[in-house]
Amino acid sequence: MNQKVVPTMNTVTIIITMTETPNAQNAMAQFRLWQLISPALPVGAYAYSQGLETAVEEGWVTDESSAAEWISGILVNSLIRADIPIFVRLYDAWQEDDLKAVNDWNAIMLAMRESAELQQEDRQLGRALARLLIDLGCEKAALNRLCCAFVTQFSLAAVNWQIPLVDAARGYLWAWCENQVAAAVKLVPLGQTSGQRLLGRLMLVISEHLDAGLKLNDDEIGGVLPGLVMASAWHETQYSRLFRS
Amino acid sequence: MNAVNPASRWHARLDIDLAWRLDKTIIKHRKHKGPLIIQKPFYPEAETCHIYLIHPPGGVVGGDKIDLNVNLSEKAHALITTPAANKFYRSAGDYADVSQMFTVSEGAILEWLPQENILFDNSLVNLHTHIDLAPNAKLLSWEIQCLGRPASQERFTRGRLRQRFELWQDGKPLFIDRSTIEGGSEIELAQWGLAGYSALGTFIVFPSGQAELDIIRQTIISANEDFRFSSSLIGEVLVCRCLAHQAEPLREAFIDVWKKLRPELINKQATIPRIWNT
Repeated sequence: MNQKVVPTMNTVTIIITMTETPNAQNAMAQFRLWQLISPALPVGAYAYSQGLETAVEEGWVTDESSAAEWISGILVNSLIRADIPIFVRLYDAWQEDDLKAVNDWNAIMLAMRESAELQQEDRQLGRALARLLIDLGCEKAALNRLCCAFVTQFSLAAVNWQIPLVDAARGYLWAWCENQVAAAVKLVPLGQTSGQRLLGRLMLVISEHLDAGLKLNDDEIGGVLPGLVMASAWHETQYSRLFRS
Repeated sequence: MNAVNPASRWHARLDIDLAWRLDKTIIKHRKHKGPLIIQKPFYPEAETCHIYLIHPPGGVVGGDKIDLNVNLSEKAHALITTPAANKFYRSAGDYADVSQMFTVSEGAILEWLPQENILFDNSLVNLHTHIDLAPNAKLLSWEIQCLGRPASQERFTRGRLRQRFELWQDGKPLFIDRSTIEGGSEIELAQWGLAGYSALGTFIVFPSGQAELDIIRQTIISANEDFRFSSSLIGEVLVCRCLAHQAEPLREAFIDVWKKLRPELINKQATIPRIWNT
């Protein structure tokens, strides 16, 4: 380290710039990731609360702290235990062009959706993303259009745009958190600042737990949460609804 | 209670083949090793074969293995239940492994309605049920887990349940339900988890449609002071879930579902196995 320190400020600046500037390809992958996880991605994710609307209706989620508990509990015990390890397998399968494995994991992901609404949501988001990817020139998205879980198309996009696996997995969770927080802000309701504070807490949760999800064995995959499942099933008949799940 | 020494661990295995013969379902073949047996079957409703699955030790300890393999050939119809709750005692460190595999051939009907599993505090349990259906096979199946023994003021503060229930048809997964419940973890009280309840159950009815879902939604209340209940139709899989403080109200709700849907699904009134009343 020390021998690299050079006497003038200018030179130091140049060295830092050279080591930290990603090459053009990395920059493109990063842009694509931002595009893929942006709330502006036209797949309609904003229309789904995944049981949160019922949790608010039942009085289980009433403020920032109970919203944090609800969202981070589901993040750690469901997404990180199911979506993430399946994402890892799908990412590998797309990279290897192993369409049988893609179809198998896609089917397992859908079979793990615990209510009609959650499964429909997954299919609708997956189909919307497949259509978008086809329009953006990713032909492989057409292969799987009829039975696509969102994570199947998300992993295809990541492989297609050469987004590194861990970055894409982290992005997947981040996009989910952002969507849940947006729903909480609307439903609880919470102030905008409170929502941003909540996101700050969720970043820490993702950082702490992502690694465990990436490393799960096949027979450890899956995280059904009784309260969430029942909230989602009740939502199907909830009288007044803003959200589709 | 002291941990049980390794020499007393059991590996029990039971294979049963059921087949349709002339006018009823018979046990065509059975093979058992260790303490897992069936009695002579009952025929309280003519052709349907009622089977009581008996595990004489009455409880399962860490290190025990129980393997059940049931095969129903074409058109066979069996109702399989147990005479008592299955108890899982505290473990010194090994998991108790329970594996229940069912193959249901074309046109066959399986009713898998065991009494509840009771997990003592500090038990370690792997519970794996796998049901393979052929086209036109039908299924009514529930499983109920009780964590700790609330009647003895024993909560499930340590120990772990790894639960896995899978329903497949023609090599494709229809419904996969896997969870891990860690004693003393946040899942016990969190609203997304068990919300303070200690008994949980899942009842699967396949194939179902909107009519079956409507019957359940119109007749079973979704919550009272004893339990929470929900139903959803995922494809053709009707999934009912229940959380309760004790097994009793949960089982009653499930029996109610069974009574209402059995006539719809297999055109037969529910015939309560006598053993449930004892």
